Amino acid sequence: MKRLLTLALVLCMVVGVASAEVTIAFSQIGQESDWRTANTDSVKKAIEAEGWNYVYDDAQQKQENQVKALRNFISQNVDYILFTGVVSTGWDEVLKEVNEAEIPLILLDRMPDNMDDIEYAAAFGGDFVEEGRRMAIWTKNYVEKLGRSDEELNVVILEGTTGADAATGRQNGIMEILKDTPNLKVIASQTGNFTRAEGQAVMESFLKAHDKIDVLLAHNDDMALGAIESIKAAGKVPGKDIIIVGCDSPKTAFDAIIAGEMNATIECTPLYGPFVVDALKRLMAGEDLGRELIHPEESCFDAEGGIVFTLDGKLSEKAADKIGERQY
Amino acid sequence: MKAKLNRETVVRSKLLWAVIAELLILLVGFIMRPDFLSVQLMTLADGSRVLFGTPIDILNRSAEITIIAMGMTLVIALGGTDLSVGALVAVSGAMALKFLRWDVLEYPTPGDYTVMPYFLVILVPLAVCTLMGAFNGLLISKLGMQPIIATLILMVAGRGIAQITTNGKQFTTMYTPFQQIAQGYFLKLPMPIIITAVVILGVALFTRKTSYGMFVESVGVNPNASRVSGLQSSRIILIAFMITGFLSGISGLIYSSRISSCDSNNAGINNEMNAILAVVIGGTSMSGGKFSLTGTVIGSLIIQTIVTLVYFFGVVSEAIMAFEAMIIAVVIVLQSEPVRKFFASRKRSRASATGGAVRA
Repeated sequence: MKRLLTLALVLCMVVGVASAEVTIAFSQIGQESDWRTANTDSVKKAIEAEGWNYVYDDAQQKQENQVKALRNFISQNVDYILFTGVVSTGWDEVLKEVNEAEIPLILLDRMPDNMDDIEYAAAFGGDFVEEGRRMAIWTKNYVEKLGRSDEELNVVILEGTTGADAATGRQNGIMEILKDTPNLKVIASQTGNFTRAEGQAVMESFLKAHDKIDVLLAHNDDMALGAIESIKAAGKVPGKDIIIVGCDSPKTAFDAIIAGEMNATIECTPLYGPFVVDALKRLMAGEDLGRELIHPEESCFDAEGGIVFTLDGKLSEKAADKIGERQY
Repeated sequence: MKAKLNRETVVRSKLLWAVIAELLILLVGFIMRPDFLSVQLMTLADGSRVLFGTPIDILNRSAEITIIAMGMTLVIALGGTDLSVGALVAVSGAMALKFLRWDVLEYPTPGDYTVMPYFLVILVPLAVCTLMGAFNGLLISKLGMQPIIATLILMVAGRGIAQITTNGKQFTTMYTPFQQIAQGYFLKLPMPIIITAVVILGVALFTRKTSYGMFVESVGVNPNASRVSGLQSSRIILIAFMITGFLSGISGLIYSSRISSCDSNNAGINNEMNAILAVVIGGTSMSGGKFSLTGTVIGSLIIQTIVTLVYFFGVVSEAIMAFEAMIIAVVIVLQSEPVRKFFASRKRSRASATGGAVRA
């Protein structure tokens, strides 16, 4: 009898512990850049610091892997699913399955298309269109500062992965500003897949196909860093002969700006951990976070600072002052 | 009349079609913009003068695939495939960067230094990739696994190993000797072109000056007959996979050196498919047997020419994949047996009409 009681007690404890333990699952794109790595680390650290169970899946940039991961999470019956989609379309079916399993879905960084019928508990993300605008606004003001506003400058753009939200948004933002900036003329725009190697290869061809390139806008800093190598290999001086503006702001971009090889980087913070945890706590407490995309506060960094980079007049910061704080 | 084409003529005529296809693509580029093919001398920041132009880019950028495809040619001639090459590229890069930086926390700033001796930075990745090639080879030759299945293991696990090596981080380096591997110049040419030439020469000498190439073809045609007639097929298979692993390692060093960094998720992505494609376009049959290294080089150049053409002419990003696929499809169709027979019969009828001699 005593033994039975003990057994029952142990069972109760096991069940009790199991139900108290929260499992958070994260389906991440993969390790495409330093940004992504910092993003993954930040979320992992913040969740583990809370003592919650953390399940992570690296999709290696393949949609089919992510679909599989999401289905695995459903069958494991996790409590919350964090999700960043590698592309913006094609998620309808699997996200409906997540809804049917009644697992709260939290969208990070990238917002898939066709979300009207999909329930989600919260959505966090950079404002990609705004980031694109900022790249163009900074460039416009920098050119003005250099006293070259009357010159017609040729702009080339390295786009991100075709179909990715970040790429489409940034491109739209850039174009929105540039259409009212006649002195900045886009002469070529192509995908570099957000990677250094492809950014480098595409820039190499741009430099052969166009005699005069004055400005490079890269949808992320990795592509800009790759392109810098190509620009050097073409006998030009990056940062001077060609103005280079990137997006994301990892430490490597700061190094390049301080070395004078790059001109500016628009911030797109990867450190989602703290506010994801905060959101999870509020959700656990039964709060409704709504369907609006929640944007983090972001800045812009360049060699000297003090250049307007938003429509409402925010000033850029000096990269050298901020590099110490960068963790990624 | 209808003498069956033997394997050698098939390979040769496929090779011919590959050359024609490459020339056609270049011609299209040239017609659209004559400067597509222009090459000039250009002065770099350090004062050295190097060759500069799209044809140089094509040769330079095709290096990684050409080098891997040299090994892949042997593997395919044996009737197998190696799907792990792309992952091995990632492993090689990750190992090299690990040895250069060791730990990004201890050495937070990338600079012109290496933590481990430089010869280890080069040797260890190559040795590890060769061992991984040997692992593939042993699974296939000793355990009799299907090459696709056996190499699938490392195709998946390789990237994981690469990520563990650098704790999932992208290390960057500024170590000049390492950067020189891909960003340096020799004889006014980008270094990868020179490395590729050396690799092609090495593999060609090894296969054609020793009996290894003949053994490979023999095992590829009929492994059992080869074994019965005294060839050690298992050793021949093992060597082919080791060569492929080693060459993937070289390719990985070039990739990492180009970007001064390792990128475990993107390094070598789709390299296995592109290498197989290069081999097949080059005239080596997937069913094994006769192989053509020259054909493989042409095949790899075709793939890179298309990519460069797309960048140069600014095909819109959304259409790139469809555009590339279209050209490849045309090339493959041109090489298919019915089409070749059609052209051969036309040539024959024309030749017989003029009374010329005809080669079977």
